[in-house]
Amino acid sequence: MSLAVRFSVTLLLAFWLLGVFLEWLVPIIPQLTLFVPLMHNSYSLVCHQQQSKLLGDSVYHSLVCSRCAGIYVGLFISSIAALFFLYRNEPPLKIIIFASAPMLADVFLCAFGIYSYSKSLAFITGFLLGSAGFLYFYSALKKLIQELNSKKN
Amino acid sequence: MKKFISPAVCGFAAGVLQVVPLIKSFACCLIIPGAAFLSLWLDQKASKSTNKIPMKKALVFGLFTGLTAAFFGTVFEVFVTFITRQNDVIVAFPELQRMIADFPLSPELKNQVMEIFQTVRKELMETGFSWLYTFTILFNNLIVNSIFGIVGGLIGAQILNSKNKSSEA
Repeated sequence: MSLAVRFSVTLLLAFWLLGVFLEWLVPIIPQLTLFVPLMHNSYSLVCHQQQSKLLGDSVYHSLVCSRCAGIYVGLFISSIAALFFLYRNEPPLKIIIFASAPMLADVFLCAFGIYSYSKSLAFITGFLLGSAGFLYFYSALKKLIQELNSKKN
Repeated sequence: MKKFISPAVCGFAAGVLQVVPLIKSFACCLIIPGAAFLSLWLDQKASKSTNKIPMKKALVFGLFTGLTAAFFGTVFEVFVTFITRQNDVIVAFPELQRMIADFPLSPELKNQVMEIFQTVRKELMETGFSWLYTFTILFNNLIVNSIFGIVGGLIGAQILNSKNKSSEA
């Protein structure tokens, strides 16, 4: 896959992450306040946004919960790694199983009250899934481009 | 059109999950990608195929799932708001006021933001409908759900293909 495509993916993920942490940018660019409610609504589609599970202090919060933020940061970090290292092999199924197991375990253990919700644990388990998930996305995107190119030729 | 039954069904279910009060609080970034994955899996089960899923098909299924979820999500949201005259904008308004008040901004900017939301809130409370609100959620849903659907479709196809490969071995 060309560097331009890989860079575009990283750039898109960077924009999405900027949106996640939009409130934290308000002190630097106050005009962004106009977009906060709108972006809040957009991100509510992909996250429950429970106040107690958001990253941040009493004033500025992330627009998604710790777990979702972890997933996006994981995707972003993996996309940066993809700029420098080419993932040549197809990721085997066990990678996604191992990467999602801690997150699923954390979700169920919290839901059943075995232990209480921890933002850092949610973030880390989300990060694991996000970074592994990117391998599948990358591989699928590579194949999609190949399929489209082979149809053209 | 028959081949798009599974993305239509999964998109409809995801759209409902995004809107229905209470269920909505379980919303997660994995709902739309999960629906796209499920649509591919159901299609494979229905056709009893073990062939590799072409990525172009995964892309179309993901996009269709996302668009269906966006359409039904918006229709239900507008309908529920029209009936109940209550929605997130109205419920979260006091929180929004507090949040904007906490931000270190000029009073003019704060007033400008509050004025826009005050207008939408008033329309929703009085008539149960606002063009600005409807357009905003439709636009939001179309963009976000389509992207998440496509990503879910591509990752889903990759996982299903790996699964088929490992079961063949």
